Amino acid sequence: MSQLLQALVNGVMTGTLIAVPAIGFSAIFAVLRYPNFAIAAYATIGAFAAWWANVAMGLPIPAALLVAFAVTGFVGVVAEETSLKRLRNNGALIVAIASIALNLVLENIVRFIFGNEMRGYDLPIARDMRFGDLRIGPQQLQSLLLAVAIMAAMFLFLRYTRFGKAMRAVADNPDLARLKGIDPAKIAIVTLFLGAGLTGVGGVLIGLDTSIDPLTGYRVLLSVFAAAVLGGLGSIPGAVAGALMLGIAEELALLVVPATYRTGVGFVAILLMLTFRPRGLLGERAA
Amino acid sequence: MTAFTTDRRTLLAGAAALAGLSALPGRTLAQGAPIKIGTLTPLTGAGGPYGPVMVKAVKAVVDEVNAAGGVLGRKVELISEDDQTNPEAGVRAARKLIDVDKVSAILGTWASSVTTAVAPLCWESKTFLATVSGADSITQLPHQGYLIRTQPNTTLQGRKFGEFCVAEKAKRVFFLSPQTPFAKSQFDNITEAVKKAGGETGSLIYDDKKPAYRSEIDEVLRFKPDAIIFGGYTPDTAVMLKDAYRAGYGGLKVAFGYAVNQKLVESVPAEVVDKTFTIAPSPAEGSKAYARLVKMIGVASPDPYTTQVYDQINLILMAIAIAGDTSGTAIKDAVRKISQAQGGAKVDNALDGLKAIAAKQPVDYDGASGPCDFTETGDIADCQFRYEQVQGGKLALVKIA
Repeated sequence: MSQLLQALVNGVMTGTLIAVPAIGFSAIFAVLRYPNFAIAAYATIGAFAAWWANVAMGLPIPAALLVAFAVTGFVGVVAEETSLKRLRNNGALIVAIASIALNLVLENIVRFIFGNEMRGYDLPIARDMRFGDLRIGPQQLQSLLLAVAIMAAMFLFLRYTRFGKAMRAVADNPDLARLKGIDPAKIAIVTLFLGAGLTGVGGVLIGLDTSIDPLTGYRVLLSVFAAAVLGGLGSIPGAVAGALMLGIAEELALLVVPATYRTGVGFVAILLMLTFRPRGLLGERAA
Repeated sequence: MTAFTTDRRTLLAGAAALAGLSALPGRTLAQGAPIKIGTLTPLTGAGGPYGPVMVKAVKAVVDEVNAAGGVLGRKVELISEDDQTNPEAGVRAARKLIDVDKVSAILGTWASSVTTAVAPLCWESKTFLATVSGADSITQLPHQGYLIRTQPNTTLQGRKFGEFCVAEKAKRVFFLSPQTPFAKSQFDNITEAVKKAGGETGSLIYDDKKPAYRSEIDEVLRFKPDAIIFGGYTPDTAVMLKDAYRAGYGGLKVAFGYAVNQKLVESVPAEVVDKTFTIAPSPAEGSKAYARLVKMIGVASPDPYTTQVYDQINLILMAIAIAGDTSGTAIKDAVRKISQAQGGAKVDNALDGLKAIAAKQPVDYDGASGPCDFTETGDIADCQFRYEQVQGGKLALVKIA
């Protein structure tokens, strides 16, 4: 029983780590209608920007998160404006493929600047707290709270601000939104800034738990994509639900299947979801 | 638009010119074409920290040999590819080296998974392959002699890990490893050594692309180990060590020298990795070849793979010289004539070796990684191991044995 509970706790923790970049991925999909695989590089760039702020400039982690958000958002917008934007008229598949190429380019720019080595944040490590048989890490708890705060901020932004409402309007029906005088180009830029920025923050949260290197983002790309598909592409609450489900499923699966099949669980989840419910958990239309 | 017409006469002239063109350079090529050697090392991925230095060592040797007039009067041309520590990328790069560049030999494949994937391409195209991978299964492949490795195999390495844990009074030893071609033989040999001393072993194979391993560590701790052997590569081992620390594990920690390196030690909080032991095949520190390599590449203490790949390029160039032929088959047949000729002149670099070969002397090369003597199957016959421990943020030498 305690094994089950512990796996559940661990699953929620990995799930929230995946949820933040998954929100970014889903937000970009919702408004621009293409899966942006460059988010792997965005997560890496965020992780390295925060590393620079934290280790080289001596800023505390929350400030480093802000730096990561700003830097990655900026990179996301620049990358879109210079490369992906002109391909958008050629269909989602073309942009998706171009985003894979963009991902490789960005990843190697990071490698060029920072090199291949692993780096760690300037952060003390703490032993886990124990509650009976359960153990929870203070850092993981902190990351969890940060992730929840970021998600809450995102919800509030989408729900109550003009920009947030405009974003939802474009996601819902771009033509109608345009008729109402919403400039889709402007919304696209804001969405990309937010989406890439959030992914960058997600990269930092993952890096806090592990260490960072130029492949940090790439390693979680599949999980992020799986979470977004699971939750329903384009749905932001769906991305959170999908990430949590995936995290929990992967950890629970460890109790029955060997650990080496963990990634397989993600694939099986996508397969089942696309077979029986193509629009995902909370998606509104078939993707 | 210009009409493009071809009459009989121009066609004939064109065909003749084409035929002449293809006949002409064929001759000159055979004389002065450079000897092509490929390196296939990880420049990115988990092996990324090692590949670039390895290439640097190979290039230094090639430059030196070229400056002294090359081999068989021909220049040596080096073509370097990245295997990305990934079998699929490794195969693509090897195909390019073999089919497009037509190299005589490929050297430096690092990850066992990459070597396992690339080796069949090599023996089928009769290209010689020299590797630094450790998996037992590699030399058991039907490679017909087209493969040598300078890294001790995992039977030997696994036994050393097991014996070390026993010597440190561990009774319950747990082996934690990602899916690699050597995980099984490593574990079997650890188990054999530990069981002999009356201990117990357990193992877990994990997926090395996950952001956290909390549940894996839970499973490890349920075994109640007093020693954990971390069998992974650097990025995943860093996460494992952190998660083991968080979970309150305080027993013996042992890892491969390639995983727990100075870079890992610097990138994680000191208490996470403190007191961790590392075991690695030891280069022949103090040998002439080692001192020479240090000077050539300007790296104070080159890692084992760099010393090995340095030996590989020296061996291959000498093998080409003694065979008088640049083909992979010639290298395969000649390599043991210069690595371990009975009563041969002891040389520690290709320049001296080439001189001895020119003077018709037998040659016995002793390199920077060790004596470099090979068995029938391509394994090295002998090797020392280096034991280090992380103490206060630095890797300190415990013993070489």
